[in-house]
Amino acid sequence: MVNVLLAAATVLCVLGFAWLALAMDVHWKQVRNDQPSASTAKVLRVLGGLSLFVSLVLCLFTAHATMASLVWVMLLAASALIVAFTFTWRPRLFSLLVIWVKATN
Amino acid sequence: MFQNFRLSMAWLHTWFGLVLGFVLMAIFFFGALSVFDREIDRWAIPESRFAPQPMPSFDNLLKPIFADMQPGKADLDFVRDKVNGPLPERFDTVVTWGAYTTHRDPVLNIFAGYEVPNAKEPDVTVFSSRTIDPRTGVLFSDDQLKIGSGFFYPLHYSLNFHWMNLGYWIVGFSSLIMLAALVSGVVMHRKIFRELFTFRPKKSTQRSALDLHNLTGVVALPFHFFFAFTGLVIFAGIYFPIGHTQMKSLHDQHEVVEAQETGLPHDRAGVAAPVASVDAMVAEAQRRWAERGMAGEVGFLTLRHVGDANGYVSVYRAGTDRIALTGEGIHFKASTGELLREDPPSTVVASVNEFLTGLHLQHFRHWMLRWLYVLGGLAGCVCIATGFIFFVEKRKRQYAKEGSQNGRIVDAMAVTTVTGMLLATLGILIANRLLPASLPEGWPGRGDLEQYFFWGTWVAVMVHAFLRSAPVAQGKINPAWSEQCLALAVLAPVTVLLNWITTGDHLVKTISEGYWPVAGFDLAILVGGILAFIAARHLRRKGKGAPQDATDFADAEVQHG
Repeated sequence: MVNVLLAAATVLCVLGFAWLALAMDVHWKQVRNDQPSASTAKVLRVLGGLSLFVSLVLCLFTAHATMASLVWVMLLAASALIVAFTFTWRPRLFSLLVIWVKATN
Repeated sequence: MFQNFRLSMAWLHTWFGLVLGFVLMAIFFFGALSVFDREIDRWAIPESRFAPQPMPSFDNLLKPIFADMQPGKADLDFVRDKVNGPLPERFDTVVTWGAYTTHRDPVLNIFAGYEVPNAKEPDVTVFSSRTIDPRTGVLFSDDQLKIGSGFFYPLHYSLNFHWMNLGYWIVGFSSLIMLAALVSGVVMHRKIFRELFTFRPKKSTQRSALDLHNLTGVVALPFHFFFAFTGLVIFAGIYFPIGHTQMKSLHDQHEVVEAQETGLPHDRAGVAAPVASVDAMVAEAQRRWAERGMAGEVGFLTLRHVGDANGYVSVYRAGTDRIALTGEGIHFKASTGELLREDPPSTVVASVNEFLTGLHLQHFRHWMLRWLYVLGGLAGCVCIATGFIFFVEKRKRQYAKEGSQNGRIVDAMAVTTVTGMLLATLGILIANRLLPASLPEGWPGRGDLEQYFFWGTWVAVMVHAFLRSAPVAQGKINPAWSEQCLALAVLAPVTVLLNWITTGDHLVKTISEGYWPVAGFDLAILVGGILAFIAARHLRRKGKGAPQDATDFADAEVQHG
């Protein structure tokens, strides 16, 4: 159970950072050819922030609060690296995360 | 001196980072290895490749071993000049016996401290320590170097440079400068959020090195900050040694008052008394922890004033379920087993200190967090290494134009501390597997020889890095980078192979048996070798290729001041 929760927290951390990054024009353009609308960017930011928060909550279920929060902070670092390197070498993978956004032009 | 704050921060970051970066690189890398120091110990001492053991029975197993212990020659050398006249043949007055283990230790560390007669100052104690197999009580030879906890770990906090404690001070100063480098780095970095996820390897080396420098610095910023900071907190007693200098009398008086308050005697009574069953006291301590709902393995067991009426036994638990370095100690009268004291809950200040030290020292049982710490440490290494590369790349044209050799020095030092340090690490591991178990009379100890191989390899690769650095003065890559990467790519599988040949533990066996301490280390070495091979190929291609275009140099330069 603990391992499942930690795995879920890791995935959510990566998703969270990916969505936060996709809300930025530079990274959006690595994934799609159009521009994100202002409202889409906002939705992405909320989604990203929410994922990171849920990830923290999941961590808190796995261990003592001091340990869980430390795990989460370190997970943030690891996921940010994963997201950055995915944008470098496989940016198109992230198009799955914005599949629900219709192309603007 | 500078036009603005940002420029002065850039100056600080560049020059202090350059000088102390070489030290910090070693601190970060060996710190990252120390996360798995006990596992590396098992790799280095094949006889200790079994499962972690709980604290063994004191009455049956430990007591006779302690009773037989006496300080060795090296231990006596520490106190030789602290006594009037010669040292006695035997030390009979035991100040303390202690046994220490963690949830990752198959072997058990024990130590004994003895009062030294005719000492020039009171409280001079001579210590002796041993490593034993807690299942049988068999002693391990002192000659067997625990490469993880006995070499890499002390290298992390003292550089193994013990003359006048200078190593501790260099490390402490570097940590302090690192805190300054982190703050100044954030001040210099104008696009901290906008470029948080940015790494562009296809741009110029200068640009992509800076990307990687920023990326690894920023995403692990909390890690970098807290580890530099807590490292200083842990050794605050060394960096502010007032307890044993200016305030010595106050410090000594405090010990006496504290002993009165806790009821744990400060001195011997001078009346002989036997030791009751310590196992019964340990069982009682575990019962009390269980009542409070805490994990109850014993981490540290210690006896004070052994054989005296004032003797007492302290039992501390291994706090594997918390970050904080707690022990919830329970203390008993040694002669009767009567409960003397249960440590009260920590005060707020003490709890903060326990959390900060525990965060750094990692007694917790959380393998994922351990690996994340390794990642943090390696991110720090990448951050420092790319800092060096950026420094040279940014200045190489100017150096080439002026005919300056400065770039060569920085670059050769960078080679020494990046690939050179890895080669030295493989050097000690290979020496560990190749040296015979017993050496001829008159040779240095086996453990000492392993250390000489480590430093010898490091010096040799440094010479290589400097000898090959001429192209740097013309703005080209030092071939030592790719050559040493290639050496790593060859030596890494050789190391793993030697482990197989000398112990029979190959990866298929260790993985199928689930013996991860050895399998994990072998795998880590192999992954390192593969990465080195990729790097070597990449560097070779780059070395042959045309000079890079300079389109985005201006951008990087503006940003870095």
